[in-house]
Amino acid sequence: MSAQLRAVAADAPVALSCEAIERSFGGLRALKGVSLDLREGEILGLVGPNGSGKTTMVNVVTGFYPPSAGRVCLFGEDITSLKPHRIAARGVARTFQNLALFKGMSVLDNILIGRHTHMRPSALGALFYWWWAEREELAHRRVVEDVIEFMQLQDIRDEPVEVIPLGLQKRVELARALVAEPRLLILDEPMAGMNQEEKEYIARFVLDAREARGVSILIIEHHMDVVTSICDRVVVLSYGEVISQGAPQEAIGHPAVVSAYLGERAARRHQAGSAA
Amino acid sequence: MFYRRAGIRHTRYQDERQLFPLRFDRGLILVVLALLLAAPFLFDRLYVSGYLLPWLIWTSAALGLNLLMGWAGQIHLGYGAVMGIGAYGSVHLVRFGVPLEIAMIVGGLLSAGIGTVFGAAALRMKGIYLAMATLAMQYVVDFVISHSSAISGGTLATLQVPPVRFLGIPLAGEVPTYYLALAVCFVVTLFMLNVRRTSFGRALAALREKDYAAQILGISTFRYKLLAFWVSSFIGGAVGAVLAVTYLRAISPDQFHIELSIQILAMIIVGGLGSVLGPFFGTALILFAPILLNNLLGFGANAFGVEMPIDLRAHLPLVAYGALVIGFLLYEPLGLAKIYANFRNYLLVWPFRHAQR
Repeated sequence: MSAQLRAVAADAPVALSCEAIERSFGGLRALKGVSLDLREGEILGLVGPNGSGKTTMVNVVTGFYPPSAGRVCLFGEDITSLKPHRIAARGVARTFQNLALFKGMSVLDNILIGRHTHMRPSALGALFYWWWAEREELAHRRVVEDVIEFMQLQDIRDEPVEVIPLGLQKRVELARALVAEPRLLILDEPMAGMNQEEKEYIARFVLDAREARGVSILIIEHHMDVVTSICDRVVVLSYGEVISQGAPQEAIGHPAVVSAYLGERAARRHQAGSAA
Repeated sequence: MFYRRAGIRHTRYQDERQLFPLRFDRGLILVVLALLLAAPFLFDRLYVSGYLLPWLIWTSAALGLNLLMGWAGQIHLGYGAVMGIGAYGSVHLVRFGVPLEIAMIVGGLLSAGIGTVFGAAALRMKGIYLAMATLAMQYVVDFVISHSSAISGGTLATLQVPPVRFLGIPLAGEVPTYYLALAVCFVVTLFMLNVRRTSFGRALAALREKDYAAQILGISTFRYKLLAFWVSSFIGGAVGAVLAVTYLRAISPDQFHIELSIQILAMIIVGGLGSVLGPFFGTALILFAPILLNNLLGFGANAFGVEMPIDLRAHLPLVAYGALVIGFLLYEPLGLAKIYANFRNYLLVWPFRHAQR
């Protein structure tokens, strides 16, 4: 099954292509010419030790940090240095490493915000709600309810978002990203701080989202078991450079990756072990 | 107890999203509305024009400021100036013979335009720095109004409001003016209630909570910050016009000074930021607590035969009033609306407290 999917992904058109992205913060070069391609319908893992530039890379793609040099293309369109809300309108959704849900609102309202790019908000619409806004609200509510069902959030939809457990909050954030009907979904450590069961849930939702919605996914994750089991390809960053990429097992087993994570000595031992 | 929730099962999304899903709440609102409509016939004229009328006007203004501060999270210390622009704009138009309906809207537009220009500071500044920028607006507008005789009518001049008609009804006496203020308050309240359940309100709330997350969901911070200032200033300007025409009847620059801004700010902070009910409570407390305390003190002093120097008697109510505001904020920082909500939540499940969510 997964082998078939990988074969399909290999000659699919490119969804996201980053060419030689550079980004510096003062004297620190966080990204030193990173290039990567993400094909349509693919799940691409972006891994690397802490501080290797993964989140910076995602912030460049989503428009928070305009790159110092390089080009970002989304489905063939140059989106380099566009404002984040313009990039969102072109079909990019993301979740955040540290949850970014809106406190004081219910789970349902949080997910409804995800529909923003598809709605036409106006102050007059609020004044003449029954004539101008109600029909639109209800139409989008149906879309949101589909996703709530898909993510199994039915029984908490009216809870204030700050009182539900972390695992569910992560799921709400994923739901909020999915209701935007993105073409590219970026997940920044969706499984940080989760137990095994919650991790498996999220992994399944990610796979189902790709199956059911055909969305291309870029995922940053530290849990290597998750990365190797759900990603089609993996790109490994270290100190702002791509040190290895390819199929998950090979990319992660590369000596440069082992040395980046565990040090030179471990890399030598690893090589000796695999040679013997 | 009163708010019976058992057995309410909505089968359509619009039923679940209605303004007051509980029957008791709907009944309560209707009773309050009926009381307000019948007030001119139930109560003494003096109470209607001296208490209810200012309460409605100040509440409308506080609701407008609450859209900006409570929903969009942008601080504004110059709301009195915003109202002043609307008041002066519309009074001048009325004096030129423009109908009040149009003058109110143009006054609102004028406030919205000028308010948005100063609100543009919010694109660069946050929190305390934005407070300084809006404070600057207050003083700039004060200065311009009082120093250009074309606007204020000369040094220390007051501008008389000529007799006006609204939709053909002459606004003379307490009753028509009261109904105009009630209608404006009703429309503003309805707007604020509906904002909560539309994409516009959600976008503002997203901006307030986490602007970076709002951006990645497609919400332009530029657009919505300015829109929040625009709408809030429009309400402020229109309410300023109502204030001038129905309550003040003769306007002078000192009526729209920083004191008014601080008063309205206090109303929404004491009432509850981001609440629709809050400004109603907050306005009542800020407007009437000093009067009530004064009467109470006078009554107490007379009843117990306590001799009190006149200056102490004048200032003691103000001290008590300050203590009252501080006390409310210490006890419940989310304002009077939250105290009401706690009480309501208690009654929702009484006597089965363990059922509380």
